[in-house]
Amino acid sequence: MIGDAQSRRRVRLLMWKEFLQLRRDPLLIRLLFVMPILQLVLFGYVVAADVKNLSTAVVDLDATSTSRALEAHFTASDYFNVTEHPSEDGVQQLMDTSRIAIAIVIPAGTQAALDRGETAPIGVVVDGSDSQVASVGSGYAAQVIARFNAERMANSGVVVAAPGIDARVRVMFNPTLAAVNTMIPGLVAAIVMISIMAVMGQAVVKERERGTLEQMFVTPIKPVEYLIGKVTPYALLATAQLLLVAGVGVFWFKVPFAGQISVVAAGLGLFMLTSIGLGLLISLVSHTRQQAQQLMMLLLLPSFVLSGFIFPIDSMPAAIQPLSWFIPLTWAIEILRGAFIKGSGFEALSTQFWVLGVFAVVIFGAAIAATRRRLAE
Amino acid sequence: MSADGRHEGLAGTPPNPDAALSVRGLTKRFGSFTAVDGIDFDVPRGQIFGFLGPNGSGKTTTIRMLTGTSGPDAGQALVLGEDVINHPERVKQRFGYMSQKFALFEDMTVEENLRFYAGVYDLSPDRFARQREYVLTMADLHGRENELTANLSVGWRQRLALGTATIHEPELLFLDEPTGGVDPVARRQFWDLLYDLAGRGVTLFVTTHYMDEASHCTQLAFIYRGGLIAEGSPHDIRRDAITEQVIEVSVGDVDAALDWLEREPGVEEAYLSGARLHAVIDPAAAGAGTSGAGDPAAVVADYTGRLQRAGFADATLVTVEPTLEDVFVNLVARAQQP
Repeated sequence: MIGDAQSRRRVRLLMWKEFLQLRRDPLLIRLLFVMPILQLVLFGYVVAADVKNLSTAVVDLDATSTSRALEAHFTASDYFNVTEHPSEDGVQQLMDTSRIAIAIVIPAGTQAALDRGETAPIGVVVDGSDSQVASVGSGYAAQVIARFNAERMANSGVVVAAPGIDARVRVMFNPTLAAVNTMIPGLVAAIVMISIMAVMGQAVVKERERGTLEQMFVTPIKPVEYLIGKVTPYALLATAQLLLVAGVGVFWFKVPFAGQISVVAAGLGLFMLTSIGLGLLISLVSHTRQQAQQLMMLLLLPSFVLSGFIFPIDSMPAAIQPLSWFIPLTWAIEILRGAFIKGSGFEALSTQFWVLGVFAVVIFGAAIAATRRRLAE
Repeated sequence: MSADGRHEGLAGTPPNPDAALSVRGLTKRFGSFTAVDGIDFDVPRGQIFGFLGPNGSGKTTTIRMLTGTSGPDAGQALVLGEDVINHPERVKQRFGYMSQKFALFEDMTVEENLRFYAGVYDLSPDRFARQREYVLTMADLHGRENELTANLSVGWRQRLALGTATIHEPELLFLDEPTGGVDPVARRQFWDLLYDLAGRGVTLFVTTHYMDEASHCTQLAFIYRGGLIAEGSPHDIRRDAITEQVIEVSVGDVDAALDWLEREPGVEEAYLSGARLHAVIDPAAAGAGTSGAGDPAAVVADYTGRLQRAGFADATLVTVEPTLEDVFVNLVARAQQP
């Protein structure tokens, strides 16, 4: 269908035209390259710094060697900055005035309980007004406590059958520079969505608005040639953006890449098809660029909020969480994070690949069918 | 179908492969709305065929079917002898299309637009050089090759659009309201270019709702609510469609006189025509009660008297040849009657 030389010439011509038009929009180009970098810097520095040095209060009601050892663990950790030692009643006021984000309360009798071989409860009070601090801070606190437990066990010579399941889980919770490391894969997926769905979709609507789309289809240009000529430049643009973000991430923020390129490429490929489909569908139902813009926002906003791109899905209300399953970005981010951070392969991510594959086939297929029908109307 | 015998003569006959365009029973529905309702017509080669009708009457829908961008629900259409409905690719190289939007890439230069469409039609470098020269001369764009088309004024954009639509030297050119939003001088110049194309043997299929442009055409078809209501040369249509007398009224208070005329017995239709009024007089009712019933001069005298008695002392009346606008208003009024 695209085999003959004339067809290839026409596709090349359409791509040439698209690049010319892109080049004539310097603001758009700058925006497309500045935006992800800005996002990286914001998330890389601002968010990461916050979670790193949480102002911490320790309320030591036990005042024993054990309680002091536990506090020392918190002090030694990068995540906590023990700044206050209030009384039990003073915690509330410190938190109200935002002087501390987290308080560790060691009840009286902790050492005695541990010596008797009982479980000793430790209070961890977290400022929930910042969900990021709440979830990450409490996680880190649990991790510190678990490490303390493990050391105590080791020193006492007691062999524990299944030590610190909790601790193991937390170690995978991205111990250094948490935000940037999870941000980069998310950002890569978001870029694909913005560049291909939003920017390409806009370009198609613009062409409809101006009548050039109509004009091209009375010429020998075939719909499939038009689509390839349209999509390829934006896919290349998205790739350039990805490389830039990955470069900044790896060389500036020292984000480790543990995965296989093939897994990342396959995930991105499927997600690109989905994004192309969404962009086309939007451009088909929109009569003006403003309408398209609003529809894109309608799609982009829930995608960013509910996919785990910005907020962890785990911290969403249980009733909301299933919504994220219907968002392709969720699965793309899971694949990319899995591949980047955990080095997961195709087997480990098979569910995610299947779901994203179904999205890609259904959405891209529907878009192609609808485009053909629309053109034949 | 229309009451006019000419089209019914075509209905049911096979399409004519020698015509530039041959259409039989062409129908397009959008849901329950029938946009084009079983139209039949032939456009012989070399004609300037005017396809006339008010907005929303089915002109653009018809063009879209004839250019292969929209599939009809029923009917046949041959374009330059090829079945455009089932095999549009066989003929796309041979016709051109220019829409009312001019459809230039505004963020590309004159040169780039030409290069793009020349590439789309796969012109050889020699032929492109020749056609480029022709278009630049025709559109008066020498020296402005590297200007963005967004910066050109409407008249230039229109001529450039004509140039890009004909860069592959088509045998047939579709023009969908090509003069919309263009000033009268530019419209006149544009029609000169169209005559020039027709003189070189290109068949033109032009839609318009400007009735003065209709008289530039060699053949006309009126479409109204998806159906053809008249067809023929401008002269034939003027002669056949109106047998009634048309009176032109010059009067100071045009609005009040129009109201009065619309209520006056014997006036079939009254409407503005430029700064004057046109009234179509029913020959049977007109002049009733006067000695010279049916005599045009007597009718004029009769209505002059009536208008003056109604308070329009400055009214002067004269019998005129029906214009195409008169014809069109009359045909539409007739089509609206149940």
